Amino acid sequence: MDLQRLEIARLFQRFGFGPKPGEFANAIKAGVDATRSQLLTPPTIDHGLSSISDPNLSDLGSFPPPGTPARSAFALSMKSQRRALILWWLDRMALADNALVERMTWFWHGHWATSIGKVEYALPMYLQNQILRANCLGDFRVQARAMITDGALQYWLDGGSNTVAAPNENLAREFMELFTLGVDRYFEIDVQAVARALTGYRVIRSSGAVTFLPKKHDSSSLNILGSSGTFNAEGIADLVVGKDDCARFISDRIWFRFISSSIPRPDSNPIQAAFAQRDISKAVNAIANSNAMSDPQYSLVKSPVEWFIGLCRALSITPSKLAKPEQVINFLDKLGQVPFIPPNVGGWPYGEAWLTAAGAQYRLQAAQFLLAHGDISPISTIPSAARFSAMSDFLGVADWSLRTERALRDVLDDPNRLILLAASSPEYIVSA
Amino acid sequence: MDTLSRRRFLQLTGGAAIAAAAPMLTLEQIAQAAQMRPLALGTPILVVVTLYGGNDGLSTVVPYKDPLYYQARPEISYAPGDLLPLDSELAINGSMTGMKALWDRGKVAIVRGVGYPSPDLSHFTSMAIWQSASPVHHTSSGWLGRWLDTQQRDPMLAISLGSILPPLLAGNNVAGSALPLGGIVVPTGSLALDCQKISAATRTDSKLMASAATSLRNLFDLSSTITPILQQPAPQPLDLPTANGGVAGGNSDLQQQLDVVAKLIAAGSPTRIWSVSLGGFDTHANEKGAQSILLGNVSTSIARFMSQMRGTSRANDVVVLAYSEFGRRVKANASQGTDHGTSGPVFIVGERIKGGFYGDQPALSKLIAGDLAVTTDFRDIYATIIESVLKSPADTVLEKWKGRTNFFAKV
Repeated sequence: MDLQRLEIARLFQRFGFGPKPGEFANAIKAGVDATRSQLLTPPTIDHGLSSISDPNLSDLGSFPPPGTPARSAFALSMKSQRRALILWWLDRMALADNALVERMTWFWHGHWATSIGKVEYALPMYLQNQILRANCLGDFRVQARAMITDGALQYWLDGGSNTVAAPNENLAREFMELFTLGVDRYFEIDVQAVARALTGYRVIRSSGAVTFLPKKHDSSSLNILGSSGTFNAEGIADLVVGKDDCARFISDRIWFRFISSSIPRPDSNPIQAAFAQRDISKAVNAIANSNAMSDPQYSLVKSPVEWFIGLCRALSITPSKLAKPEQVINFLDKLGQVPFIPPNVGGWPYGEAWLTAAGAQYRLQAAQFLLAHGDISPISTIPSAARFSAMSDFLGVADWSLRTERALRDVLDDPNRLILLAASSPEYIVSA
Repeated sequence: MDTLSRRRFLQLTGGAAIAAAAPMLTLEQIAQAAQMRPLALGTPILVVVTLYGGNDGLSTVVPYKDPLYYQARPEISYAPGDLLPLDSELAINGSMTGMKALWDRGKVAIVRGVGYPSPDLSHFTSMAIWQSASPVHHTSSGWLGRWLDTQQRDPMLAISLGSILPPLLAGNNVAGSALPLGGIVVPTGSLALDCQKISAATRTDSKLMASAATSLRNLFDLSSTITPILQQPAPQPLDLPTANGGVAGGNSDLQQQLDVVAKLIAAGSPTRIWSVSLGGFDTHANEKGAQSILLGNVSTSIARFMSQMRGTSRANDVVVLAYSEFGRRVKANASQGTDHGTSGPVFIVGERIKGGFYGDQPALSKLIAGDLAVTTDFRDIYATIIESVLKSPADTVLEKWKGRTNFFAKV
């Protein structure tokens, strides 16, 4: 295997959403180091995003009574705002010249997995996305402080109804188990104490606004993870994120989604040391520069959104500009992954869970849909004989098996079919 | 992976669903044979209903005479008149009329206080434990997946409804199949030939690429057998009114899943295990109304399914198992909901079931740190099912597990 090609393909697939036309061939010429440095350095202004405006979202207020005309109008507005929100993000993923910020925001969205299925309103989900986006490569302490009082997360995990009289432990538990420390790195009494410290926050669901009511807050002295004192939400975030287990856990989570979901992170990987000051950018750079990137054993299955957006980028498709953009959401739904709708607070499935016969069927249908609307000129305008070697650069694939090479060579005269088969091949579904 | 401790594994995965073991099958001819060899009449069939989120056992099987129950959760407890009494101490949720009718016919076994030692209150850890049947050491295989490992490879043998495979059907060597609700539409013509070419097995594939290739091949094998069956109408429920009003808001997803299962069973699909699921049981807030709707959904869907089965020749073969990853805290929280708890009831439904209660009801006067005691280990139920439904030695799935719960009627 050509390890340089493998590493460049992984850089595009894992720290972005795949190459746009021409990028991969240029990267091969520039070499691994130059490509890595370019892909890991987001520009101040990304010109690929200049045509995208923020979604038009407003505070819709509370639900009108059922059965009234106002209720129907409300339901329509809610639906259209949700759709606008999802397409807005898909557009950004597909159009960004440098997709690192989108990719990291996508990672953190799966990490703090909050679903619009319960939150219902688009505005608070958008505001949460802004927090993740602003802090996607910054200081994890700042991110955790902002998230623990984020309206969508608070509502999702019942934070707003956690009171002194009878605490609701949902947010407290998941904050430690899934967001910062990992399971079994705290005791049940810590969950109970953190729940008490997180009392007094109220959420307005439609706007995502969170207010702190000191009178409703449990200000008694608590003992949490070996520290005693009085805590509010920010104090909890600081305390927990300061634990060594947090560096271990976040490093594992990044490893899991960027390097391997089946082979554990070796202690020799530099990511955990790089995360000592909770600097996400340093951690990401450390792992992207580590020798894991060129180690062939660390393959990953692309999640449906990663696969779908990769194809949009190759085919120069803007999801919201398609004749029937709701079809995009429909396909992603069938594939099992729509942004803003993770299946539960644990985030998206991974690995072979995506590799079902049903998934294969929907990938074929989605690829046919995209091909019908995409720009295939990078392949169709070159001579048939040159198409096979152009295909791997076009899709950012490291290498084809002999099996797939033969199948592709049989259809070189039909560029549509050539791309359809390549996009449905094991070599494109998996990041080698 | 098997040497990893569960703790380490869950820290690595952050609790996301466990990946299925590689479906490294070569099935090309087997799928066609499936159509030629319908499941022999009299072969037992298991239908597993997973309730995700932690079903509140105390709102399902209610100790309606116990003052401690009303003291612990004044705002979300049910008055005796709103419940369906099963005996002098316990009643089921008033929304579960379908289940009550099956109970009255003696077809429902309710195992009380089910869990495992040292209950874990994390959804993900606890569901992984239930699905792998391995409470201490992490095992990436599911309990039914390990049974599949012992069988002749056949993509029809175990089928999960929905596009993502639950870990319980992932074996060490083979895995069950996933079937989307709308059924599978097979590519035809030259596209079909192309797809078969790019999905052919090749030695140079990595493990993940081989799985990707297999999933595409399985599409053809599954679709040629299942698509014609799905076009048939669902079997008519024998003894339920056809227009009964149903659950508000139209068909529940669980009911749709079980309708597909009913069609495929009626058609003779050579499938021994079906997996369906319903989410939404994580009722931390405003539990009472939501819980009744969810349980009504479970009850209506299962009752309808059993009735559909009675219109076929498979009625005596089907056994339904419904479980959740844990019960909930006895004391309500301030949001009229409950936090994560420990044990809960498991339902087993079938014509061959000897109806009644099994296992001891955990006493509200003997809580353990505010939680219900575990009185029956879920592996007792699994072992019984492996022997009585799957007709295999329990040892193949649960090494040396001795406990059993004898909820099958003597034949």
